[in-house]
Amino acid sequence: MFRKLLGFVIFSLAGAMISFGPAIATPAKEAPWLPDAAAYRLTLFLGNLEPLPWDDVEAAWSEPYRNSEFSADALTWLGEKSDIETGPLLDAMARRDRQSLFAAATRLIALRIEEELGRALDVDDPARAQQAVGTARELYRAFADGVAAADPKASRRIGLAWLELNSSTGSAGVLGAGTTPPDRETMVTARAVISDYLAENYLVDDFAPRQQLSPLPETAVISGRDIEVPPSLPPGSDIFDQDPLPRLVLNFEAQGIDETDLPIVAYGDMLFDSAQIFGSPARDLGIACSTCHNRSDVNQRLFIPGASHQPGAIDVDGAFFNPIFNDRRDDPLDIPSLRGLRFTGPYGRDGRFASLRDFTRNVIVNEFGGAEPTPFMLDALLAYMLEFDFLQNSMLAADGRLTDAAPEAARRGEEIFNRPLAGLGDRSCASCHVPDGNFLDRQAHDIGSASPPYEGARASAFDTPTLLGTVYTAPYFHDGSLPTLAAVVDWFDETKSLDLTDAQRSDLTAYLEAVGSADEPYETFDAENTSFRLAFSELTTFASTIDTLLPRRDAEHILLLTDTVAADLSADASTMSNLAGRPEVYALAERLAQVGAAVRAGDWETAEAHWTAFRDAADTIEERAF
Amino acid sequence: MSIRLSRRKTLILSAAGAVSLGTRLAAQQEGLRLAFIPQENPEKLLGDIAAITGWLADQIGVPVEGFVTIDHAAAVEALRNGDADISFMGALPFVLAEAEIGAVPLLSEVYRGAPSYTGRIFVRRDSGIETLADLGGKDIAFADPISESGYLYPLAEFVEAGLVAGPGDADAFFGRIFFAGGYQQAMQAMAEGLVEAAGASQYADLLLTPQQQAEVIWIAESEPIPSHVVIARPGLDADLRSRFVDAMMRLNEAGNRDLLRYLYGPDGYVRADPAAYDGVRDMARRYGLLG
Repeated sequence: MFRKLLGFVIFSLAGAMISFGPAIATPAKEAPWLPDAAAYRLTLFLGNLEPLPWDDVEAAWSEPYRNSEFSADALTWLGEKSDIETGPLLDAMARRDRQSLFAAATRLIALRIEEELGRALDVDDPARAQQAVGTARELYRAFADGVAAADPKASRRIGLAWLELNSSTGSAGVLGAGTTPPDRETMVTARAVISDYLAENYLVDDFAPRQQLSPLPETAVISGRDIEVPPSLPPGSDIFDQDPLPRLVLNFEAQGIDETDLPIVAYGDMLFDSAQIFGSPARDLGIACSTCHNRSDVNQRLFIPGASHQPGAIDVDGAFFNPIFNDRRDDPLDIPSLRGLRFTGPYGRDGRFASLRDFTRNVIVNEFGGAEPTPFMLDALLAYMLEFDFLQNSMLAADGRLTDAAPEAARRGEEIFNRPLAGLGDRSCASCHVPDGNFLDRQAHDIGSASPPYEGARASAFDTPTLLGTVYTAPYFHDGSLPTLAAVVDWFDETKSLDLTDAQRSDLTAYLEAVGSADEPYETFDAENTSFRLAFSELTTFASTIDTLLPRRDAEHILLLTDTVAADLSADASTMSNLAGRPEVYALAERLAQVGAAVRAGDWETAEAHWTAFRDAADTIEERAF
Repeated sequence: MSIRLSRRKTLILSAAGAVSLGTRLAAQQEGLRLAFIPQENPEKLLGDIAAITGWLADQIGVPVEGFVTIDHAAAVEALRNGDADISFMGALPFVLAEAEIGAVPLLSEVYRGAPSYTGRIFVRRDSGIETLADLGGKDIAFADPISESGYLYPLAEFVEAGLVAGPGDADAFFGRIFFAGGYQQAMQAMAEGLVEAAGASQYADLLLTPQQQAEVIWIAESEPIPSHVVIARPGLDADLRSRFVDAMMRLNEAGNRDLLRYLYGPDGYVRADPAAYDGVRDMARRYGLLG
């Protein structure tokens, strides 16, 4: 069993989702969902989006969920593992009847649990009985957070029943030794606890109408009580940072200035990593600016079903994050890099915000449903983001011309790039991607990359993107529709009738790859220079702004900081390779939380004492923080 | 997108039967047959087996076949009757297989720098429980009654402390003893407050959420337990055995380490020391598992 643990350092959130503390930006990797349970959770999630993406709901059952360890889709899985009829579910989907879909899917999962429990009781072999109990329990995971939110006592009763049931199945021993027979009486009693609850809450003939699809038990729903199920992402979601992690280049840091000497920048850095500035569900899910913009760049793996059409893309004005800001258009955008942000305005893919400050406020308040940020918060975020620099590239001179380090093919491509082309109206690629202007012109153009939104409409214009660093930000275009830089060259050649030869297209691609390259694009880690050490360094730097905020008795901003950093520090300790060092980090996080608690109580003297203790402790354990 | 009503057939391993990859090397002398025991998703294991056996065949210069057995007993039976040459198993099944068919230990898995690990007793930080004695009359969840780190070794700590007379007397000390079905289920039961303590591998707290990990401490740790072992049937040709071991040791090299993920994901291998399993043999005798 040892290898089973280390091979799968993952967290089953069956019960854990009920215990969300302060929002943290350290996502927990989930244990794999069974295909049928996954399809159910996807159905609940997608069923709450407006307009309801019926195609996605159907795919949730007829295609394996994204990154599933099982190659089978839920319907195939059910066909092979179960005798439960899927007809009502298929009928509800065919009729596009949301309430019927919920009822059929809920009953299907409850029946599957019952089916596996029945198998556990029918077999004599303890190994097979345990397998059936295990499967039933994995299916119950689809309801568990709803039960826990609505009825903690029932949740506990059922939790004990699962323990009792598993214990009473007996043991097959090992190689014939240590076998113990099942205790059928106890099994029947424990099963009844689970089955009775399912019958009353999930095997209901006529479910009450659901405004919100959730795993809440029926009795809780019809009670009319206001119960909130903690937000969760459905199976197939991925909000982990990309690997390798992009390297962050901050202008001040490259000049040798320490971030702890720039408190407003450090505070902005903290806000960029803080889910607290957003509203629910982003806040509760630990989604921060840095979730999409890893280290100022992109996150090529980010994916949320119903909000992403492909990895690295997200619809931030859809139904999920802030329903009041839902534009009811299925228009996810490829996440843009924020490198060189002070040179890349106007902001937004279509350049709709001239002001970075306005754009940032819109992200916080409208796209992610956060409270109105204070002027200090916006000042801090801008101060930080305006330090984002482009990656260094020894193939490119300051004026945007290639250096001798660039390959010959790229040099030939440079000539094509700067040559006026008839297909571009006698302009060149460089007319918009101005080499001595960071390869952009700070204007929006309609190049024909999007269809008109309605008949007779002008098609969309998009802000010219820089070409710097683009080797690491695939795919390309506003919707990520082109997978490679070569595909971009082909697209222009074909749609603009540039009549380039194969060799010219290849040279032009080589040029784009040279311009978009970097000497050190990614962070590098080793045994002691770990991702946790980087996180520890960042979090203690964030905390250093308390030196500035405490004398100002700025409770609001101190609390935002301590709530964010204490929770993140504690959560990030789970990623330490130095396991023996974890208790010290937990204690350090607790010390910072005590700073916050004292500030909350208005006890500034105690807050200062805790802050001094935090600084001393952080210095002491720094070398073990890996 | 319409729903595909026809059910396509996919290769899903049934845990009820052994499924072989490719054609058996029946009666073939030159070749190695590896028996794998499913740990998690058996379907994923099939892909892993294909990847590692292909690499091993290149390294050793003979055909290498892998197949999945239902459990340890089936793997040992395959070793006994010559259907398998090599298998992978935990320390306890190995010492039983050694006694039963003379299985030979070849390689031990390494995790975090050691070919061993421990079992621990975990409690919630806010429980007020500080010693094993504090658990008298309290409920505890173990992983499984035949798990080394998830039952046998942690329980031995209670025996060592004089709180439990012997392996069969644990009921007299605890309130209830549950076997949760795995490390993660035992730890989750403890973290959620269904029981007061959990007995599991030293690394089992990593299976909890980051928030839960901060809320959990351990109060006792067992003696080291040898990690999982790669074993051979007793009559396997010495030269072939040696070439297999040499190939496996090359998995420790930087360029090959990625392949370890296809073999249950250890950090590497060391050549097995048969004496390292003496403690497991003693433990198996104490629990009446070994004559």
